Amino acid sequence: MRIFKSMLLVAMLGVSSIVSAKTIEMDVNGLVCAFCAQGIEKSLKALPPTSKVFVSLENRIVAVELKDGADIPDPQLRKAITDAGFTVVAIRRSDVTLDAIKQRVARQAAGHE
Amino acid sequence: MQQIIPRAGACLFVLLAMPLAAKPIAYANGTTVMAEYGAGTMTEEQAYYAPRSWWSAGADAVQLQSADGRKQRHIVDVRANLLVKRWNLPGAQANVFVWGGLGQATGNDFAGSTLSRNAGFETDYETRRVYASFASDLQESDHYSHRIDTLQLGWAPYKHDYNTLATWIVVQGRQYTGELFRGTEKAILVRLFKGGTWVEAGVTTDGKPQAMAMFNF
Repeated sequence: MRIFKSMLLVAMLGVSSIVSAKTIEMDVNGLVCAFCAQGIEKSLKALPPTSKVFVSLENRIVAVELKDGADIPDPQLRKAITDAGFTVVAIRRSDVTLDAIKQRVARQAAGHE
Repeated sequence: MQQIIPRAGACLFVLLAMPLAAKPIAYANGTTVMAEYGAGTMTEEQAYYAPRSWWSAGADAVQLQSADGRKQRHIVDVRANLLVKRWNLPGAQANVFVWGGLGQATGNDFAGSTLSRNAGFETDYETRRVYASFASDLQESDHYSHRIDTLQLGWAPYKHDYNTLATWIVVQGRQYTGELFRGTEKAILVRLFKGGTWVEAGVTTDGKPQAMAMFNF
């Protein structure tokens, strides 16, 4: 019974995390040219749940800030990136803000210099 | 100084008036417009729409003039471009494109207009610091046949990012068949792009300006 309760708690926490996710971060292959990557921003911004989009060639990531309570299914994310000409290799959802991701990227960039 | 001013003026003119080795497909639902001025031997304007990320279609206008001025071609055709293969790697991308088109051409060494046929391919590889592409474009009809082969090698002095200006130094070698130009036309170019705007300009070893502009939207 105790094991069952623990599993239930873990499952609830997991569901809660997905429901309240603020951003989706994707690792994307082929991100080497900003001119060629314009389609990523265009296709993701066309999705109603999208609030903001951030692309980092240095970190090879594309991050999407979601509107409150909204989400974008993984197949739709993969289609948007594929339509733009690139390949998604990983998708992560988190509660961090887009600004926090930008700051992390900036710190990593500064660390490389 | 008297020579520099007209040359700088010519460079500025071709940049303002706008200018082959750029990708003919932007992205799904994307439009690409580009123009190139190729050192007086070739001028080209293109506009394509890509319904999907792997093909695009549109119109292409090419003007060719031999170095001695004896041969002139004005070609307008509709063209379809196909992305045959793309390799998306962690720090690089490589592509193979092919295209084909049909249209109408006029020239100063044959009467009237003729059916023009166009076919070509391009392969490229790029990272954020190095770039290489090779394109071969065949323009032919019952009256002429010209193949334009272009090799470009590029180097970026720094790694650009999504919202920063990209700067590339590109060396180019181009050969024309069909008595348009003897030997290899060599040029050095500076390429800049930011957002959906791409411009490049340079000069051939003969001192002739070359420029190109391209917009994705």
